[in-house]
Amino acid sequence: MSSTTDTRIQPGSTVLWDKGDAAGHDILGTRTFGFWLYMLTDAMVYAAFFAAFGVLAHNAGLNSKSVLAAVFNAQGAYRETIALFASVLAYGYAMVALKKGSRSGVAVGTVVALVLGLVFLGMVSGDMERLFGQGIVPQSNGFLSIVFTLIIYHALHIIVGAIWMLVMLAQMGRDGFTSNVVYRLINLRIFWHFQAVIWVFIFVFVYLQGKVI
Amino acid sequence: MFVHLQGPWNPVWGRLSLQAIPYHNPILVGTFLFAVVIALAAVGAVLYFRAGPYLWREWLTTVDHKKIGVMYCLLGLVMLFRGFADALMIRTQQAIAVGPHSPGYLGALHGYLTPFHIGQVYTAHGLIMVVFAATPLLVGIMNIIVPLQIGARDMAYPYLNALGFWLTAAAAGLVMLSLFVGNFAHGGWYGFLPYFELPYSPGVGVDYWMWAFQLSAVGTTLGSINLIATIVKMRAPGMTWMRMPIFTWASLSTNLIALTSFPVLMVSLALLGLDRYFGTHFYTAGNGGNLMLYNDLFWVWGHPEVYFLILPAFGMMSEIIPTFSEKTLFGYTTMVVASFAIGGVSWGVWLHHFFTMAAEPSVNSFYSVTTMLVGIPTGVKVFNWIFTMYRGRVRFELPMMWAVLALFLLLVGGMSGMMNAFAANDYMWHNGVFVVAHFHMMVLLIAASIFGAVEYWFPKIFGFKLEQRWGKWFFWFMVLGTAWVFVPMFILGFTGMTRRLDYVPYTQWAPYLRVMLVGMAFYVIALVFFFAHLYVSLRDRVKNRVGADPWGTSRNLEWMTHSPVPAYNFAYIPHVHARDEWAWRKENGVASLANESFEDIHMPRNTGVPVLLGALSFVLCFGLIWRIWWLSAASLALVVLVIIVRSFARNTDEVITAKTVAGVEGAVDDALPSAARG
Amino acid sequence: MSKRGIKGAIKALCAPLLLMLNGCSKSGLYLLEPEGTISRVTHHYFNLDVGIMLLIIIPTALLSVWAMWRYRKGGGGSYRPDWSHSWFIEAVVWGIPLITVGVLSYLSVKAIYKVNPYNPGALAHQEAAAGKPLEVDVIVTDWRWLFIYPGQRIASVNHLVLPVGVPVHFRLTSTSVVNDFIIPQLVGMIDVIPGMRTKQTLEASKTGHYVGFSADYSGAGLSWMNFETQTVTKAKFAQWVKKTQAAPHNMTDAAFNLFAKPYISIDHRPMVFGHVQSGLFDYVVHEVMSGKVWPTPTAMTENMVKYMNKQQANVKAGDY
Repeated sequence: MSSTTDTRIQPGSTVLWDKGDAAGHDILGTRTFGFWLYMLTDAMVYAAFFAAFGVLAHNAGLNSKSVLAAVFNAQGAYRETIALFASVLAYGYAMVALKKGSRSGVAVGTVVALVLGLVFLGMVSGDMERLFGQGIVPQSNGFLSIVFTLIIYHALHIIVGAIWMLVMLAQMGRDGFTSNVVYRLINLRIFWHFQAVIWVFIFVFVYLQGKVI
Repeated sequence: MFVHLQGPWNPVWGRLSLQAIPYHNPILVGTFLFAVVIALAAVGAVLYFRAGPYLWREWLTTVDHKKIGVMYCLLGLVMLFRGFADALMIRTQQAIAVGPHSPGYLGALHGYLTPFHIGQVYTAHGLIMVVFAATPLLVGIMNIIVPLQIGARDMAYPYLNALGFWLTAAAAGLVMLSLFVGNFAHGGWYGFLPYFELPYSPGVGVDYWMWAFQLSAVGTTLGSINLIATIVKMRAPGMTWMRMPIFTWASLSTNLIALTSFPVLMVSLALLGLDRYFGTHFYTAGNGGNLMLYNDLFWVWGHPEVYFLILPAFGMMSEIIPTFSEKTLFGYTTMVVASFAIGGVSWGVWLHHFFTMAAEPSVNSFYSVTTMLVGIPTGVKVFNWIFTMYRGRVRFELPMMWAVLALFLLLVGGMSGMMNAFAANDYMWHNGVFVVAHFHMMVLLIAASIFGAVEYWFPKIFGFKLEQRWGKWFFWFMVLGTAWVFVPMFILGFTGMTRRLDYVPYTQWAPYLRVMLVGMAFYVIALVFFFAHLYVSLRDRVKNRVGADPWGTSRNLEWMTHSPVPAYNFAYIPHVHARDEWAWRKENGVASLANESFEDIHMPRNTGVPVLLGALSFVLCFGLIWRIWWLSAASLALVVLVIIVRSFARNTDEVITAKTVAGVEGAVDDALPSAARG
Repeated sequence: MSKRGIKGAIKALCAPLLLMLNGCSKSGLYLLEPEGTISRVTHHYFNLDVGIMLLIIIPTALLSVWAMWRYRKGGGGSYRPDWSHSWFIEAVVWGIPLITVGVLSYLSVKAIYKVNPYNPGALAHQEAAAGKPLEVDVIVTDWRWLFIYPGQRIASVNHLVLPVGVPVHFRLTSTSVVNDFIIPQLVGMIDVIPGMRTKQTLEASKTGHYVGFSADYSGAGLSWMNFETQTVTKAKFAQWVKKTQAAPHNMTDAAFNLFAKPYISIDHRPMVFGHVQSGLFDYVVHEVMSGKVWPTPTAMTENMVKYMNKQQANVKAGDY
């Protein structure tokens, strides 16, 4: 196919230039699309971490049974799961409120999500403190290195999300639902849900599988 | 919490001390003086012409994709020279230091570079050429051309675009700084594990390498998000997928590769960082670490990265060859399929970078076959270019000459690539110079495409053509240099000579190494011609002034606006009717760019935040390299703060009024000598 | 193209270069002069690969030159600016690479199974005929080669002696970083990885001296890290073993700890050990896996010459 196999030109009826609304590109769609692309890169980061986990898990046997039992505290992880999922749910309600255009609804949902996120963080850091106190540290061996790295990297995301929520509360208070605020709220939803999805993987492949190792 | 180090450390200066300055090394002192002279000249010129405010306003704070692209290209060019200087040092060292009786100077046993010094030189050469020369040049050209080819006024995220550039520039700055403060990694650009662990590389060199690499990876990832979103979301009305110019297709596939592979690089480097800073055991030989994990993670990025570099080069060739064959591209659909096939296969070949790791024959067989598969779409591309010239009217102007050179380099590189993919061959020369010669054919192909693309698109961006006389001298001396350096290197490949030797023990290899030095002399002469080319072009810029379509036979949207392209790209966004829209308009006699009335145009406002973030990241990494914790913590906090503060900014856009647009449009004269032929 | 043809062509290409500069007597093109069973099979497939590739590449290059010349502007070629598609040509341009890659893939897989260090097919019948292979354990330190003959309980540094016509089985490991073992005229590369065990197999066909070196960057001493391989008749080999067994030095686990300290073997000091503690190889692998390192001092990389002078003094004093 070449250029000339396309229809011959009809002078007068052919639009050559886009006069009028030249912008034409919707801000929300473009911004959220880019954020999905970013999430894909983050997914690749996690994929690489999980691949490393898969490799280094062959050396889990370097740790004694009691150490593994202390690390893979599935009950503690289950409590963390509840906190994180509740936080995501609360943020979901904030998004429902956003559709209705309710500023207070979004604010309440975000605050609840934030508090629950902080509860999750508190539990994770409590867990880390307990393990470090027992001398179980990432420096012990390759397997513990990757286990701690995965959990801490996920927790860093939660910290970023919490800061983001604070920023959004402030921006919403100042500007209301401008397009900037709305696309950021939507992107935050993508981000926050993604952390829950990743946590599912951590729970299954680290905590539950760790139980089996 | 942090690991124990060899050598002193204090809380204020970290590992930094006066001993970190290599004042006892005459080569580095000379380089430093050279850099000082250049810097003083640059600063002096800026002050003399009172260009400071202009540079800040128009360039450093710009979010215009064309200017950012130009800055990417300048960065790439500067780093290309640095990388070339490194190559010169490697070649001279290997030409001198052959055999046990070869002389030694400047504290080296043989040659004039100690193993530690030449190690840094070739590590820097590799990293710079791949990450700080080829990548910025390609990203820069994509940055400039893609929005123009799809009829957009800017990238999807102009601010992010600037940020990506400044992070890359900060990373390049770290590599340069390592010359004068401390040292660089000395074990090869892709890193060897556990050699890059603290017990074997105790200095700051690996940290410089790691953080520069990491920072540039972040920059490139941001860039890829931007380009993909731009191509997907910002196309002009009427531009369906199958009407996209082939270079845009190449950019899309290449950025999909970057988007998915660079994060893996970040992980592979981050885990090394954890080992080096916290004493974890990801890549250690003992304590449950796995050093092959690094090879896997790195090359899962590394091989797609190779195609990340080569696909845009193929795209450039696919733009240049039709224009100078005065004919449409042969097999457009096939080209698109081939680009994506290369992108897809690139994910399944990484293990050929360690065929010799003692894998089962079945494993090596699998990766040998997948690697060969790359040859199919690549071969198709070669044939399509040949059939594009077939039944055309081929004009050998400079861009075309470079494209033809790239084509022949691809034949040599492709053939040697197939020889490497043949795993049994690879067992013999895996870390040998045959492989080195092969991938230099490939990167020189990329370089040739880049030179061709610059010659081709330069008039579009700057409004005047580069002169041809010195450019041809430059071209022919590049050809000579390539022949004289790499033919002997291929032959040396059959000796089994390995890479990264600072001293060559076998005197039988000496003749080849000396012939290569002749080739390097040709390259140096080529460099002189390059500067002549540049100087004469700039001098005659008024004489060589051109209109919208300087080559006369160009085919795509980027030629449908004035040269140089105004800040807003298109006064009106074009409607697209055909695959080669500009060619279609010329055939149908509607190739006029004139408009009577104009409208306001919304554009993003310039901002200093990206350059600030780049500077802060530079300081952050510097602190991490020298383990000055307070500095890193402070700059990290500032980075976060700046990002938050910027997110509160409201006036990030500005309006170019219809009157201004009318003024700009009225001032251009498209009816210049070689302008568009309706 | 025939095997000899390619070899001849490459040599012809190299000859003027050699004559022009200093007229070397020996070419040094080790990969083109295979003298072991494995390397000879590799070379055979190399020739096939090159021949088939040239069959494709040369016509392609000629075709592109022809197209450029025939259809140059102002030349006599027909001009069809809209011609951009032909099912026939599309089929050919996909078909030719597809067939080539298919054939080469088949050959590649066959070659891999013939020469892969793990049970190479090329040695299968020799193994059966020759009876017991010779076992050699290779331990690489920074930056020396220790060749242990566990059956003979002797060891040699930077000097490998092998009998002709006997398959040799290597086990390899490293104390510090990754190296790569190669004797270009006898056998290709195999990584030598710390904390892991890799294998290699070869069989020499002639007596002679061959160069061997490390092919993976391992630090400041890499360039000097080459070893001589001497292939001798079986009788000579037995003599050498006997002579070596009488050597006074003893390689024990403790002595090895000292031996494994970073050492750049610029002097290529030959060393033999008349007795080697049994299980030394496994001991080293185990030690490294448990986290033992022999670190490189900063001074060794950053100020190598000074460090080496100090090292030479220590050698005289009996250290290392």
